[in-house]
Amino acid sequence: MAAASIFAVIIFVAMFLLIVLDKIERHIVTLGCGALTLIVVFGICMRSGKAILGTLAVGDFFKKDFWYQVTESESKGINWATILFIAGMMVMVEGMAKAGFFRWLCMKIAYMVKCKTIPIFITFMIMSAILSMFIDSITVIMFLAAVTIELAQLLKFNPVPMILSEIFCANLGGSATMCGDPPNIIVGTSLGFSFFDFLMNTGLIAGICLVISVLFFYCVFRKEIVSESSANVDMSKFPKPSEAITNKKDFVTSSIIFGIAVILLVSHSATHLTVASIGLFIAVITLITSGKNALELLKKVDYKTLLFFIGLFVVVGGLEETGILEYIAQFIESISHGNVMLMIAIILWISAIASAFVDNIPFAATMVPVIQSLAATSGVDISTLAWALSIGTDIGGSATPIGASANVVGTSVAAKNGYPIGWGKYCAKLAPATIIVLALSTVYIFVRYL
Amino acid sequence: MSQLIISVGREFGSGGRVIAEALAKRFDIPIYDRHLITEIATKTGLSAGEIEKYNEMPASRLVSRRVRGFSNSIEDNIAEMQFDFLRKKAESGESFVVLGRCSETKLRDFDGLVSLFIIGDMDKKIERVMKVYELSQEEAEHLITKKDKKRKRYHNYHVGMHWGDSRLYDLTINSSKLGIDGTVDILENYIKARIK
Repeated sequence: MAAASIFAVIIFVAMFLLIVLDKIERHIVTLGCGALTLIVVFGICMRSGKAILGTLAVGDFFKKDFWYQVTESESKGINWATILFIAGMMVMVEGMAKAGFFRWLCMKIAYMVKCKTIPIFITFMIMSAILSMFIDSITVIMFLAAVTIELAQLLKFNPVPMILSEIFCANLGGSATMCGDPPNIIVGTSLGFSFFDFLMNTGLIAGICLVISVLFFYCVFRKEIVSESSANVDMSKFPKPSEAITNKKDFVTSSIIFGIAVILLVSHSATHLTVASIGLFIAVITLITSGKNALELLKKVDYKTLLFFIGLFVVVGGLEETGILEYIAQFIESISHGNVMLMIAIILWISAIASAFVDNIPFAATMVPVIQSLAATSGVDISTLAWALSIGTDIGGSATPIGASANVVGTSVAAKNGYPIGWGKYCAKLAPATIIVLALSTVYIFVRYL
Repeated sequence: MSQLIISVGREFGSGGRVIAEALAKRFDIPIYDRHLITEIATKTGLSAGEIEKYNEMPASRLVSRRVRGFSNSIEDNIAEMQFDFLRKKAESGESFVVLGRCSETKLRDFDGLVSLFIIGDMDKKIERVMKVYELSQEEAEHLITKKDKKRKRYHNYHVGMHWGDSRLYDLTINSSKLGIDGTVDILENYIKARIK
């Protein structure tokens, strides 16, 4: 077992380093390291076919619980529910984007506030957070940042503060629900939480933090985004929201499918449909209704991300099976001397600091078994630790330009349009905002759960 | 004449830029080098100085990240803008000469591409750099090493194959053997033979 543990750690560290160095595509890194885990750790060192089968978890597809879950259950190894759900949402989002839904929504809101910069600034922040509760933040920011730049050029204001605020709110909104950010899907499906559990816990924290964040960004950015022409906006020169719609039928269909997805997610603890079922259902109806465009939508799905998840779960499975993650849990317990407050603070802040610099998905996947073990040994409620982990990984990523996918996409769209955002400019405003929100969340968790 | 795109990669001090300019003149086509910076400055509203700061610079892997083709690195985005600009020029059917910018790979799909790589003997390169930049021998050698290292890192970051690898180019030539004018003559004949 000692050799297996050593190899599991070496493979995991190598995987993390290769992801950070970004020389090889990350899905190849995780798949390669996953294959090494299966062969070296489980096959050669442990000689355990059971560990291999347990980690591959293919049998999950044939269990009723995977599709229809009455009682909460936890999963191990490859988290196929996460993968299926993300794949389903990717298909749906591609359909919505193709129909022009996101651009229409952005333009519609800009029109509703009569294209005034400060109201656009505030409504776009709120829209960014709300959309990110259901849709991946990459898509949200890709469209929001592009429309922001378009409006900035027409209204002659600096779009950088607005894009930075939208990025922050997208990450914040993502923390509010089970499907908002990949770490939450992993936490939720691994520990058996529902969409509603997240909404009532991390959702409330995110809601309070959103109010504080909007006020914070309004105070620090309002002077920078005052438009030269804000007093007299000639809206006739602006592109009409309806012009964003590429096909009316597809637009209506994709909007209805999105509505169904939201209803299914909000009610899944009552309907007992798992996120895997919802993901599959949404993908199937999107493909059926898109007719001859179905193949095009399928081609646009980001398979690399799905493969990345598969490899990652196998590598983390290696650490789990060899007991390494239990050592980490014991270490956290020993340094906190059984003090629950300190334990929660360590999980939240270490997750946040790590997520500010490295991909939060592998971090969350690794930490889920750690908090499971920690809850079992220390007696702390697993849900409290789960909310601390989710908030830490989701919000910590906002602090730096590389902390979360939305940050990379937002700064890239800005740079390509002549508004480069370096580390200094980014961190000057978003790092303090991240610290404020994390501090607030820590206090909230202490007060509500302890 | 059908489309002609001359891509010139070069070692620092080999006279690659002068050779590229001479070829542009002989074939009466525009050259894109600094012009790329001006074009992007006009398009984006950035100052030429700002773009120059990140021009032909590889991004640091530790402080940058890529997500679905997007990158937070300003260097990456400036490079992508230049690649897009070149691709659009090539797609429009225009003939031109381009210096560096991984053009031998980025424009590989265009039939009219002739890719060249200019190298030089170290002593001749030092001599040339000392004269052009008014530097001591030591300073010239240091500058050559530094510039080539930067070009190599930039190229290898954006392209899978190694900078200067002869398999990437149609022709690699040592400008120290025939001098600048002699090299231009040979290259002119080669290009004429290619576009016949």
